[in-house]
Amino acid sequence: MVELFTKYFPNVVYQGWSGDGGWLQAIGETLYMTFWSALFGGILGLVFGIGLVLTDSDGIIPNRGAFSFFDKVVSFFRAIPFIILLAFIAPVTQKIVGTQIGTTAALVPLSLGVFPFYARQVQVALASVDRGIIEAAQSLGATFSDLIFDVYLREARSELIRVTTVTLISLIGLTAMAGAIGAGGLGNMAIAYGYNRFANDTTFIATLLVLIFVLLVQLIGDLLARILNHKNS
Amino acid sequence: MAEKIIELDKISVTFKQKKQTIEAVRNVSLTINKGDIYGIVGYSGAGKSTLVRVINLLQRPSSGSAKINGDLFYEKIGNHEKVIDSKKLRKKRRKIGMIFQHFNLLNEQTVVQNVAFALKHSSLKEKEIKEKALNLLQLVGLEERADSYPAQLSGGQQQRVAIARALANDPEILISDEGTSALDPKNTLQILDLLKRLNEELGLTVVLITHEMEAVKRIADRVAVMEKGEVLETGDLLDIFINAKHKLTREFIGTEKESAKALATLGKSKLVKLGDDQECVQLTYIGSAVGESLIVKLYKDFGVVASIIYGNVEILQETPVGSLFVIIKGSTAKRKQAIEFLKKQDIIVTRVKEGEVLNG
Repeated sequence: MVELFTKYFPNVVYQGWSGDGGWLQAIGETLYMTFWSALFGGILGLVFGIGLVLTDSDGIIPNRGAFSFFDKVVSFFRAIPFIILLAFIAPVTQKIVGTQIGTTAALVPLSLGVFPFYARQVQVALASVDRGIIEAAQSLGATFSDLIFDVYLREARSELIRVTTVTLISLIGLTAMAGAIGAGGLGNMAIAYGYNRFANDTTFIATLLVLIFVLLVQLIGDLLARILNHKNS
Repeated sequence: MAEKIIELDKISVTFKQKKQTIEAVRNVSLTINKGDIYGIVGYSGAGKSTLVRVINLLQRPSSGSAKINGDLFYEKIGNHEKVIDSKKLRKKRRKIGMIFQHFNLLNEQTVVQNVAFALKHSSLKEKEIKEKALNLLQLVGLEERADSYPAQLSGGQQQRVAIARALANDPEILISDEGTSALDPKNTLQILDLLKRLNEELGLTVVLITHEMEAVKRIADRVAVMEKGEVLETGDLLDIFINAKHKLTREFIGTEKESAKALATLGKSKLVKLGDDQECVQLTYIGSAVGESLIVKLYKDFGVVASIIYGNVEILQETPVGSLFVIIKGSTAKRKQAIEFLKKQDIIVTRVKEGEVLNG
């Protein structure tokens, strides 16, 4: 079995498990980038998504100026192709993390790349909360934070998990692209060690690992969304 | 003199949509007494829902003043606007329960959590909140469904949960915004009877908005009829029922329909042709059914023959209200005498003529 694997996937074996350029490192880097940029980009996206819904003309604190601000910022960052964003914000990255290359440096463009996408998704998810439910909560004397946490976020939670799943999957795609600025990870493995060295087996396994990762995220997301949904049971 | 609990004075609500301004409520003044069940009827789009949202300030009016239970919620004199402070408003809102057509329960929280949500800012401890929530569910007969989610309940059950939730903070006012309109007839009656019970047992003032006159007829004490953002008329249910001034009111009450039916019968039937000595009248009477003996009396004492073409009895505020369409036959003088006699019996006599109902 091991012999067979060595025969058909020589380059995969050559990369080794641990150490620099090893598979463990690549997997670790992908997880690291996905986790932290999901956290930073997620929080930013959530804030903007909530902001968009609350300040919209039919929201609970309609404010044309604030809405326009959220809307413009989100639209601006969404309009920049990610590969260009990587280069475009390099000076900012330099200021924040002190370097323009490496896994940690990739977190800045990754977070900024994923947040507008997430913000729009959150906006749609929260807008699905029935206006009547919000009104009913207001009639009960609910406070602003009650409305956000107990009504908007809680009522939309299964929808939020669904859009988070979609965003995470798209983020995994972005981390692969960040390999272009030397961010490492499975994307880097597939391109730098696989494609560029004509080691197709390495590209194949890297792709397979990314696919497994995506599949896991999708399965867990679907499961959670189903468990936490009580709207039509 | 009954105590006033809701005083709306010259309330107008306008919405600006792009360049258009829509006047949803125009200069409406309404006073509701404590302990009343006050029905507000009108077709959809009449401004009923907008008007009642002024009561708990879910809708801020464009002008007028709103005083609820002695607290000034809103007032605009000239260009000077006075609005209750938002923290105080939240507190006051808890004393005004509201139920909605589509129940509007929190879907992701269980029945008992929904009721407890209303008590989140009360001074009660967590354990006491749960206890009170369960007591409220018991009041509406749903204690065994406490841990179900709203989607697992029927419409009528969901509305009862909504009522329990609206009552959580011991409100003095309960607003029902088309609260029975999405329910089937059986559930509608259950909810209406529950509201009536709450009104009697807790002294709750109920504001009932509906486009179904049946709901109002069943439980309301007083009625306001709205059309195009204006209140056409207000009054005691019996009064409105008997002496409706506007055509729309009669339409709602059903008398318009009855007259139409009676007239159609008259017109179609070749057998019934009004001769010179005949006329068609509507008799409306309150209390014990006297129709049968009246007709005998009319013949015996006045020599007037009365034949019934349509009749109906309704129960309003537990009082039967009868309505008869009869054709009376006799000489002009005798008919006049007979009508005078009927009027003395506290019977309202309305002449029905050529497709028109003349209030006489």
